[in-house]
Amino acid sequence: MFAKLALQSLLDRKGSVVLSLMAMTVSIFVLLGVEHIRHQTKENFSNTVSGVDLVVGARTGSLNLLLYSIFRIGAPTNNISWETYEAIASNAKVKWAVPLSLGDSHKGFRVLGTTGDYFDYFSYANQQHLNFAKGQAFHQVFDVVLGAQVAKKLGYQLGDKLALAHGIAATSFSLHDDRPFTVVGILAPTGTPVDQTLHVSLQGLEAIHIDWQQGVKMPGSTITQAELEKAKLQPKSVTALILGLESKMTTFRVQRAINQYKQEPLLAILPGVALSELWQMMGVIENTLLLVSALVFIAACLGVSAMLLSSIRERQHEIQLLRVIGAPAYFLFFLIELEALFIALLSCVLGAGLLSVCLVFLQNYLLGHFGLHIGSNFLTGNNLSLMLAVICASVLVAIIPALSGYRQARIVKR
Amino acid sequence: MAIDLLNVRFHYPQQPNHEVLNIPLWTLPVGEQVFIHGPSGGGKSTLLSVLSGLLIPDEGQVSIFGQRLDQMPNRRRNQFRANHIGYVFQQFNLIPYLNALDNIQLASRFAQRKKAPVLLGDIKKLLTDLNISASDWHKPARALSIGQQQRVAIARALINKPELLIADEPTSSLDPFNKEAFMALLMSMVSENGISLVFVSHDLSLSHYFNRVESLNVINRCGDSP
Ligand SMILES: Nc1ncnc2c1ncn2[C@@H]1O[C@H](COP(=O)(O)OP(=O)(O)O)[C@@H](O)[C@H]1O
Ligand SMILES: [Mg+2]
Repeated sequence: MFAKLALQSLLDRKGSVVLSLMAMTVSIFVLLGVEHIRHQTKENFSNTVSGVDLVVGARTGSLNLLLYSIFRIGAPTNNISWETYEAIASNAKVKWAVPLSLGDSHKGFRVLGTTGDYFDYFSYANQQHLNFAKGQAFHQVFDVVLGAQVAKKLGYQLGDKLALAHGIAATSFSLHDDRPFTVVGILAPTGTPVDQTLHVSLQGLEAIHIDWQQGVKMPGSTITQAELEKAKLQPKSVTALILGLESKMTTFRVQRAINQYKQEPLLAILPGVALSELWQMMGVIENTLLLVSALVFIAACLGVSAMLLSSIRERQHEIQLLRVIGAPAYFLFFLIELEALFIALLSCVLGAGLLSVCLVFLQNYLLGHFGLHIGSNFLTGNNLSLMLAVICASVLVAIIPALSGYRQARIVKR
Repeated sequence: MAIDLLNVRFHYPQQPNHEVLNIPLWTLPVGEQVFIHGPSGGGKSTLLSVLSGLLIPDEGQVSIFGQRLDQMPNRRRNQFRANHIGYVFQQFNLIPYLNALDNIQLASRFAQRKKAPVLLGDIKKLLTDLNISASDWHKPARALSIGQQQRVAIARALINKPELLIADEPTSSLDPFNKEAFMALLMSMVSENGISLVFVSHDLSLSHYFNRVESLNVINRCGDSP
């Protein structure tokens, strides 16, 4: 009956109630959205790579190395020589070493030159290995394996032919169009930058650069396909290496050895450590966003309270009447609190509903444009406790009008 | 005694120099109905608020059915009001957005009945007795005519089977026809159930419904020397 009284009273003031309900809904939507995306990107970041003990590149900043080798963001400054790769790979403590070669692109997607080992050793999330949705790894020089998003966005099927571009700009004009690659495999989606990558063999990359010098195509070059296959396509350098070690215990020792490598200035990083550094940088932005949305929410709470407060003046007769029929003064306190609670609960439901609708629509966009895999299930423990906090906060702020109602109820007017 | 007032003095805190009530002695036997008349602003409503325990006098004793209202803790006083006292005003007797049934049910929620809980059937019977047709039971109170609202107000006031009914100019917003109908209903309900009634109004034409008619000026010393 008391719940009914609160509900009917809210319904009776539809106009102002709906407005403050909307403000509250929007603020809860923003709050939940920011928190959810924050959580998911963090998960995304930490899911990007796993099972790789060290990433090795030419000496640069560790974030820079991480960004270009794993996230395919930015450009490598220097390469490391093939001899260095062989030296590291033959180290007894190193279980496996996979070379990565970056620098080309296809319609805005990065091209990664590597070896077949990449598909066996690279893993993401919880030690999940790469799976082929269709086809298999590359075996021929001009084979290419596509990440899930590349295939989906560009509509490639197995057997399709495509040309790689020199450089990494989406509109690169210098196409290696004389030597097309054939799609032999398409990877299953991973929710990591792998989805945005085309994978070719190191030899394939060598082959398309064989008659290029300093990034410019040599005029009059007439090497035929047959000659190419025969030529020894041994790369002289690679961009980075990913390593797996025999024992995790030796990680720091191997790292130090690589960092002190005499022949060439190298940098070895632990991806987990670099990821958390990256995360800390992102964290500042995201905490700011969260703070702003919390402030927006508090503003909405205050809006609801202002609405309730002004309603008390209109409801003087009602309040007196309740007193006359035996309601204690504190009943008015709880009645107003109950109304605030209803508004908060309804806003939570509406805000959450709005968010799930938006996530369904935004999911593909975020995945396609930012490689962010944002799940649509945001009702995790984290967000549920956020909603609980939201409800507690609005009940707290409603103490102001509730107290005013209580005071009103103690004054007798007739 | 239903009501026993002794040396009751009251002024509103906002007006410290203006004493509204000063009643040396006034009683109402159980089951009696009294009509108290007096000019507007004479303190009739204030007296009724003191009788129902909404206002506590500065001095003196207020006993309702032998219970000292002025000495009760707040909680008990609220409870006592809900259980033993019915109230009908000139207007604003009902929560405007609740329908007749809900208004009456709400009043029953604040009372602690040792007797059987108030059933919907009781409410419907009461409404029927008060000539409210079933088609109007589910309309929000504000959609009812004033005459209907006042009759629902009687039902609201009687639902907890109070021993004392307090009526504060309940007919002042009614037209003559509705006024007579209302009075007839009220008086029959009250005498049927043996309820003590304090009825205040400035309208002396209503006094013929009562055996006991008093002027507030006589009861209240304040009126003498303003
Ligand atoms: N809530 C209140 N606060 C202060 N003064 C009041 C209040 N209610 C009534 N009064 C004053 O008390 C006096 C008696 O008022 P009231 O009891 O309402 O008279 P009546 O009901 O006979 O018209 C008036 O002078 C009025 O101004
Ligand atoms: Mg009055």
